[in-house]
Amino acid sequence: MNEDLLDIICCPLDKSELELDVRDRDDGEIVSGTLTCTECGEAYPIEDGIPNLLPPDMREETTA
Amino acid sequence: MKGQEWYQADDIAEEYEEKRFSRGGRLIDRREKQAVLNAIGPVEDSEILEIACGTGRFTVMLAERGADVVGLDISGPMLKQGREKARAAGVADHLEFLRGDAGRLPFPDDHFDAVIAMRFFHLADTPASFLSEMRRVSREIVFFDTFNRFSTRSIYNWALPMGSRLYSRWEVTRLLDEVGLELVGDEHDFVLPYGFYRQIPNSTASTFRKIDTTLGSLPFGDRLASVSYWSCEV
Repeated sequence: MNEDLLDIICCPLDKSELELDVRDRDDGEIVSGTLTCTECGEAYPIEDGIPNLLPPDMREETTA
Repeated sequence: MKGQEWYQADDIAEEYEEKRFSRGGRLIDRREKQAVLNAIGPVEDSEILEIACGTGRFTVMLAERGADVVGLDISGPMLKQGREKARAAGVADHLEFLRGDAGRLPFPDDHFDAVIAMRFFHLADTPASFLSEMRRVSREIVFFDTFNRFSTRSIYNWALPMGSRLYSRWEVTRLLDEVGLELVGDEHDFVLPYGFYRQIPNSTASTFRKIDTTLGSLPFGDRLASVSYWSCEV
């Protein structure tokens, strides 16, 4: 994902802002990391460049 | 949601386009893209969200026409195909994919110029809740299609891997009322259903397509159509 996407997306549960924590970057693009809700604290993973904003009850456990 | 596991399998995602949009299916692809462009007009510099974007057929086309597009889908493997396609088309800078729930969209109110969902509502178990989320995040246009009750679609519907919810005109207008959307345009097409075109070679498809559109243009043609495109405003 591009960092600009942060201006658009929010927490699917309470629509609050998300805080970005980058783990891995490739040529400006964020490949892996975490988006954390500044209100409820729910953490959403970024995997293979794609943020996973499925609410926790719909997210399958990812194997490490 | 129907067929969720089927839809999210890697091999299904990899074969998805080949199975549906080669052979006679190419005509379907073209018609659907035209329907989207008819509904949302010139898209340059507009912000567009597609719900259930799958492998990115529409998102890539819209990004190529200068829109800033976000594609949302439940399936990681489908989005992976979309990302590769966006890169190949050179539009990755104008197109973002993310996984999310269509019933709880991770966007603020009134954010997009247009929100579209193609081939989504036939899988929706609670269509009103999804449509109302689309309306919430759009400031102008909401566009979607349905497969119709009382059409040729009914004949092979039972055989599909995901099942399929069919709608009548009355059901769609009631849904729009319920969520507060105004219908501004509707098109009805495909007297011969999608499944038929997928089975026939491209060489004969255009002949059947001609028969199809001729039937569809008759006075009762709309009522025979298996697909409807609904263009709405907030």
